[in-house]
Amino acid sequence: MKSREQEYKEIFIAEALEYYDALSRHISELEKAPKDEKILAEIFRLLHNLKANAKAIGFINISDVSHKLETAFGLIRNKELAFSDNVVNVLFDGIDLLGEMITNIDNPNYKETSNEVLLRNLDVIIESADGAMPTAENGPLEVTKVQREFTAKNLSLSELIYIQIKKLDHMMNLVGELIIDRDRILSISKDLDNPDLISVSSHLYRITDELQFSVMDARLVNVGSLFNKFPRIVRDIAVAENKQIHLDITGQDIQIDRNILQIITDSLLHLMRNAITHGIENPEVRTKKGKPASGNVWLSAQNDRDMVNIKLRDDGKGIDLNEIKSAIVRQNYLSADVVKDLRDNEVLSYIFEPGFSLAKEITEFSGRGVGLDVVKNAIDSIGGRVHVDSQQGKGTTFTMHLPTSIAVKGALLFEVAGGFFAIPLMHTDSVVSLPKNRLHEVGDMLVADIMNETISIVYLDELLNAPEGMMQLGNKNILKGDEQNIIIVTYNNRKLGLIVDKLLRQQDIVIKPLNKPVDNIDIYGGVTLLGTGKVCLVLDVPAITRYFIGKR
Amino acid sequence: MKKRILIVDDSFYMRTMLKNMLTDAGYEVVGEAPNGQTALELAKETKPDLVTLDVILPDNTGLDVLKGIKKDQPDMKVVIVSAVGQEVIVNEAIENGALAYIVKPFSEEKVLETVGNALKE
Repeated sequence: MKSREQEYKEIFIAEALEYYDALSRHISELEKAPKDEKILAEIFRLLHNLKANAKAIGFINISDVSHKLETAFGLIRNKELAFSDNVVNVLFDGIDLLGEMITNIDNPNYKETSNEVLLRNLDVIIESADGAMPTAENGPLEVTKVQREFTAKNLSLSELIYIQIKKLDHMMNLVGELIIDRDRILSISKDLDNPDLISVSSHLYRITDELQFSVMDARLVNVGSLFNKFPRIVRDIAVAENKQIHLDITGQDIQIDRNILQIITDSLLHLMRNAITHGIENPEVRTKKGKPASGNVWLSAQNDRDMVNIKLRDDGKGIDLNEIKSAIVRQNYLSADVVKDLRDNEVLSYIFEPGFSLAKEITEFSGRGVGLDVVKNAIDSIGGRVHVDSQQGKGTTFTMHLPTSIAVKGALLFEVAGGFFAIPLMHTDSVVSLPKNRLHEVGDMLVADIMNETISIVYLDELLNAPEGMMQLGNKNILKGDEQNIIIVTYNNRKLGLIVDKLLRQQDIVIKPLNKPVDNIDIYGGVTLLGTGKVCLVLDVPAITRYFIGKR
Repeated sequence: MKKRILIVDDSFYMRTMLKNMLTDAGYEVVGEAPNGQTALELAKETKPDLVTLDVILPDNTGLDVLKGIKKDQPDMKVVIVSAVGQEVIVNEAIENGALAYIVKPFSEEKVLETVGNALKE
C-alpha cells in the first residue's frame, strides 16, 4: 500500500538524490573557482534544504551531516574558513557520505562504517575556523585520512520517475487502437488459415494483452489517496453543523484508475456533505430516538470482479419517500396519480433528476443548488453506475459501481437487422427469452412482467430502423418469430427491455467516440470495430432509458 | 470562500508537505513557486490571501520576494517558513511586513495555527 508516508519518502529520496548530484557538481566547480560566491550560495542552499527535509522526514543522520556541511560552507562563505587543502578533502568526503546515505535509505544492511572519522573531521574543520586559518604548519587540524569503501563510485539514477497523466492518457489511447488492429489481424489469420500467421498473431494477442494490462496498471492509484482526505473534511463539516460524527474508512488500498478517482472526487465530497448535513440528525434528536448521540458514517471501497464499488453509508434519518413523492409532483416531474404507483426504488431514483431538490434550508455546506444529478452525470461519464438505498429512520447508502479502467469495457454483443451492436455489461441486468404472448400492448409501448416487475419493452429493429414518424413501438405484430430475445438494461434503478434479433457474445471492447455528424444521435454512446472489421455501434443506455422512462 | 494560498519553497518535498497540509485543512493552494521570480509572478497573477515564503531561494533571497510582494500588494499576508539558523533573515523579514514565521521541520498543527492566525489579522 502506498500511504502518504511512502509517497513522502519517495519524493524525499528522489529530491535528495538530485541535490546530491548538484552538490557533487558544484563542489568540483568550486575547487576550480574557490571564490565564486554564486556557487557557494547554491551549495549552501542545497545543503540547507537537505537538512530541513531530512529532519522533517526523520532521517536524522542525513540531517546531521548536512547540517555540519552547511555550517562549514557557511564559514567559507563568510571567509572564516579557507576552501583549500584538507578542508576540500573533508568536504568532498562529506558530500560523498551524504550520497551514500541517501542511496542506502532502503538498505537494511547498510552500516555507516567510516562515518565517525569523517564526522570528527568535519567538527575539526568547523572548530578550526574559530582560531587561525588552518594550515599544515600551525593548525590544530588533525584530519584523519578516511578510507572510503567506494573508491570506484557507483553511478545511480533515481528509481522513481514522475510522469504527466496526459502522457499516460496518450499511451492508453494508442493501446486502444492497437487492440482494435490486433483483433482484426487475429480474425484475418483465422480466415486465411495460415499456421505461421496464426502463431504470430496469437503471440501478438498475448503481448498486446500484457501491454494493455501494464499501461492500465501504471495508471492505478490507491483509493486511499482520496479517502485519507476525508477525516479532516468530515471533522470540519461536523463542527460547522454542530454534529458528532464518527467516520469509519475501509479499503484504502483498493486500486483504481487515477482519472476515474479524479472524476468522482467532487461527487464523493458532495455525498459526504449530504450525509452529514441532511442524513445524520442532531445529537439531541438521535438520543431521543434511542440512537447513539454520535452519528456513524462508513466510507468503503471493495473490488467486485472488474469493478470497484465505493460505498458511503450513514446511520442517519434516511430518505423520506413521501417527501420525495410530493417533491416529484411539486416540481412537475409526474402527476400525483402516476407517482402513487411507483415502486420505492423508482421513487428514490428521482433524487438524481436534474434540478430535483429536497433542501428546504441552505446551510454552509449543503443545499446550494448543486443537485445529485451532477453526481450522476460524473459517474455516467466514466461508464459507472450509482445506486441509492435508504431506510427511513435507519440511514442511507450510496453505492458507486466504477470501472477500474477507462479505455476497455466488457460488453454484450448482439445483432439487429444484420447490424452489430453492443451494450456495456455495466448496464446489462439480465437476458431473457419470452414468447410473444407474454408481451402486452399498453398504449404505444410493449410491456412484460418479468420476475414480478412490469418492464417496458422496446423492439430495437423498430427503434433503430423505422422511418421517422412511422415508429410502431406498441405493435407486437411486427415482431419476427415467436420467441423474443430480450436484454434487460438498468439505469438509475429503472429497467428497460430491448428486443434484439440475435445475441452474439461477451467481449472486451474499446469504445471510440462517434465522429460528427453522427454524434448528435443520442442513442449511441460510441463505436467500436470488431475483429472482422465490421463496425459495431455501442448503445447509450442512459440516453435510451431516459427517453422511454420520460415517455411513460 | 476558501482562503487562497501561494506556496514558495525551492524544495518539492517541502511544497508537497505544505500543500497536503493546507489542502486537507480546507485551504485552496493557488500556486507553488520554486524560485523568487516565479513567486513574484504568481503572487501578481493569482492574488492569494496569503503566501508561505521560504527565505533561501535559488535566484533571489526570500527577503527580496517579500519586499517585491509588499511593494505591489501591501495587504497580501506573508508567513515565513525557514529552517533553524536563519534567525537574522527571519527578523529582518518580520520588520519588512511578514506576519509570522514557521521553523522547519514543522508540525501540521504549527503550520495550521500560524496560517490560521495570520489570516485572521
